Amino acid sequence: MADDKMSRRDFLLYAMGGWAAIGAAGVLYAMYKTWEPLPEVKAQATTKFDLSKVKPGQLKVVSWRGKPVFVLHKTPDMKKCEDRTVAGEYTVVLGICTHLGCIPNWEADKKIWHCPCHGGEYDACGRNIFGPPPRPLDIPPFKLEGKTIIIGEEGPEYKKLMEKA
Amino acid sequence: MEKKGGLLEWLDKRLAVNALWRIMMSEYYLPKNINFLWSFGVLTMLVFAILVISGIFLLMYYKPDAKLAFDSVNKTIMMDVAFGWVFRHTHAVAASIMFLVLYIHMARGLYYGSYKAPREVVWITGFLLFVLMSATAFTGYLLPWGQMSYWAAQTITTLFEKIPFIGPDLVIWIRGNYIVADATLTRFFALHVVFLPLLLIFVTAVHLYAVRIVGSNNEDGIPMTKEEKKVKGIPFWPVFMAKEYFVMSVFLLFFFYLVFFNYNFAMDPINFQPADYLQTPMHIYPEWYFLAYYEVLRGFFFSQNLGLIAFVASMFIILFMPWLDRSPIVSGKHRPLYKIAFWIFIFDFIFLTILGKLPPTGLYAWLGLAGSIVFFLFFAALPIISKIEKSQVEKAGR
Amino acid sequence: MKELKILAVIVVLVLIGYWGIEPLAHSIMHKHIEEAIKKYNLPDFKFSDLDPIPSGLQGNPQAGKEAVKTFCISCHSVKKEGINAPMPPQAAAQSFGVVPPDLSNIGGILDEKYLFNFLKNPQKATENPKFAMPALGLSDQQAIDIVAYLKSIAKKNMSGKEVVEEGCVRCHSIKYQKIQALSPPDTMKKYLGKVPPDLSVIYKAKGEEYLHAFINKPQAILPGTGMPRVGLDKEAQEKAIAYLEEIADPHKEQRTKVGIIVLAYLLVMVGLTYAWKRKIWKNLH
Ligand code: HEM
Ligand code: FES
Repeated sequence: MADDKMSRRDFLLYAMGGWAAIGAAGVLYAMYKTWEPLPEVKAQATTKFDLSKVKPGQLKVVSWRGKPVFVLHKTPDMKKCEDRTVAGEYTVVLGICTHLGCIPNWEADKKIWHCPCHGGEYDACGRNIFGPPPRPLDIPPFKLEGKTIIIGEEGPEYKKLMEKA
Repeated sequence: MEKKGGLLEWLDKRLAVNALWRIMMSEYYLPKNINFLWSFGVLTMLVFAILVISGIFLLMYYKPDAKLAFDSVNKTIMMDVAFGWVFRHTHAVAASIMFLVLYIHMARGLYYGSYKAPREVVWITGFLLFVLMSATAFTGYLLPWGQMSYWAAQTITTLFEKIPFIGPDLVIWIRGNYIVADATLTRFFALHVVFLPLLLIFVTAVHLYAVRIVGSNNEDGIPMTKEEKKVKGIPFWPVFMAKEYFVMSVFLLFFFYLVFFNYNFAMDPINFQPADYLQTPMHIYPEWYFLAYYEVLRGFFFSQNLGLIAFVASMFIILFMPWLDRSPIVSGKHRPLYKIAFWIFIFDFIFLTILGKLPPTGLYAWLGLAGSIVFFLFFAALPIISKIEKSQVEKAGR
Repeated sequence: MKELKILAVIVVLVLIGYWGIEPLAHSIMHKHIEEAIKKYNLPDFKFSDLDPIPSGLQGNPQAGKEAVKTFCISCHSVKKEGINAPMPPQAAAQSFGVVPPDLSNIGGILDEKYLFNFLKNPQKATENPKFAMPALGLSDQQAIDIVAYLKSIAKKNMSGKEVVEEGCVRCHSIKYQKIQALSPPDTMKKYLGKVPPDLSVIYKAKGEEYLHAFINKPQAILPGTGMPRVGLDKEAQEKAIAYLEEIADPHKEQRTKVGIIVLAYLLVMVGLTYAWKRKIWKNLH
């Protein structure tokens, strides 16, 4: 088979093997697709929430894609942060510790979030102020429609925040 | 394969993979005078692989719970999961086609006398595979929890009631309830997805190993000597496999035509109605591959007990082929009498299959009886045919 | 050559078997259905068994509106005209077994002749002696006026889904579309003797021919069934069945497309493997 021209035999073998590989790729693609989230899961991709339901000083936890989102109605005595405030007076952050993914607890008296796992702490803006967390709590994509927040969609307010950050 | 050094040599030292490869593949010689019917063994393995793979993907969304099963199949898998319907159609059609391939595989053995010495173990393990495959198909058929699923399981499990003394208690034990219910579904699920496939794989290995030891039969039923093998035989790998690829491709073309364009025969319309233990559908019947045995069950319509005995006998009698047929001539190709009996048997089997789906009334009932009797006559005739042929051979030998 | 002969034998035997267990068995088991279809020429959108509308009779929608106010709204709502149901659905279902339908769009899906007959004698038109609505003793003129009125207010060009929602969902649920029957199952069981089956995949269970015949004249196909003849006109029934097919078999188009690709792929594979086999086996003999 060391001819300078590829023999018909080799060519056939490669053609057959290559064609089989294409078939296998097709099957793998179908298998890959079956693992994607089902339509009803994708339908939960956004969560609507009425911000005015949260009284000043109060914290509400909203579930978005199965994850907790903290909505805190800030009061003047709390830490201020233009670049992390939503609709003027709310902190809206993903309630998942940026260290290793535990859910921090709100300590109303100290006005901080305290993570039970390794003692990380975040201020009322969601900025990490103590412990192992490497960065502030993430802000989920959101869109504002009046006092209603749609979590999971990127609105202009969200984009503005991201530019500032 | 024989490359020096590297992973293969390392493995060879520890697992003798080269020897294994030679025995199973490259130095397993097949006679040249075998036709594509000898490809059906490999085809069953192909279908089995398709069943396992498609089954695994069904398993990822299927829910073995009487309340959830129907919707998990008909809604989640068929409608919501991307390409879920491909896997379901493939699995259902493969289960059905498995039996077509198996029946051809078995008929090949019957015609060419492949069950005769020294291939008894091949035949027995093959028969075991048939029984296991039937059990797998039967348990799997309950899983979608449709009306046909439910009533097939209900009636077939009821058959066990007729066993003397222990019958009634046995049925309840099998079902885990007084009727087919959630408990039945979940245990059938366990059997279908774990226990039976494991057994199938194990018995297949023995079956294959046995074929390798005694060698393939051929059209003429005359074995090759060791010397002939090297000269006249064709090695399984890569030569015989080259033909196998072609046969497989043609088979897959046919198979996927069914999967995409003609799947109704494997997915009964009645099964798109959820199981209802208070209402039996107007017509119930087993899947096509059990129809012939089912017809034998109904064929002796005047006596339920006789029907039941005949039913069990019809499934197991084929196991005794090597001992019923004692003729010194192996292949049906050289046995005119046997050939006639064989074809009568094949047509009778098809006849019974067709009758099995029709209502057992009037003329059909009598035809069923006639067909059932012919079915057993084939086996009854074997010792006689053997005797005639033996004396012919002896005469010719003198 | 010999191998082709063997293949031919297998193909013939398989086809005989297939013919037996599919077309033959089907024709024998579904004989009564085929016979009914032939006997009544189903689907019969002329509703031949019903009385024709007397010739020269002209409906007056305005008069029909008054007639509806007199005769119908003690049970039915006509939301489009701002007339609400006299009692809440639950209470209505309790007393009638089924929630009386809103009349806003019903004229858009029912055949004119059928509706005329239905108003005069509901039990006869539906072929269901248990049908909840009583005969109201309308004159021909009143009946045709109501028909004209209902037709005039009904939405035009309703989609298949809308037809099914108007015509079927009063009694049937469509679970997979998150559509719940308007009447609760237990009262319906009392009224009809059975909870009507879910329609999510009914198309696959019954098939197009059966549905066309059954919806058009249930008693002919399934004598004694609790399902009333609804009286859909041709267009509405075709749309309804198309919708039932679409929801039962949402991947039909994708299936055909993928199927063609797969078969084309395998055809090439057959060619390649055949060439390979020829190549390897050429030097054997
Ligand atoms: C899952 C089921 C089965 C699998 C995977 C399987 C697989 C195979 C394979 C790969 C071969 C060698 C290739 C060939 O000769 O076709 C073979 C041979 C054979 N099988 Fe099976 N088989 C199965 C079921 C059966 C059944 C049900 C029977 C009969 C009751 C049977 C009887 C035989 C015989 C007699 C041979 C030897 C054929 C000869 O050398 O002429 N097998 N089987
Ligand atoms: S996970 Fe929160 S501090 Fe480690």
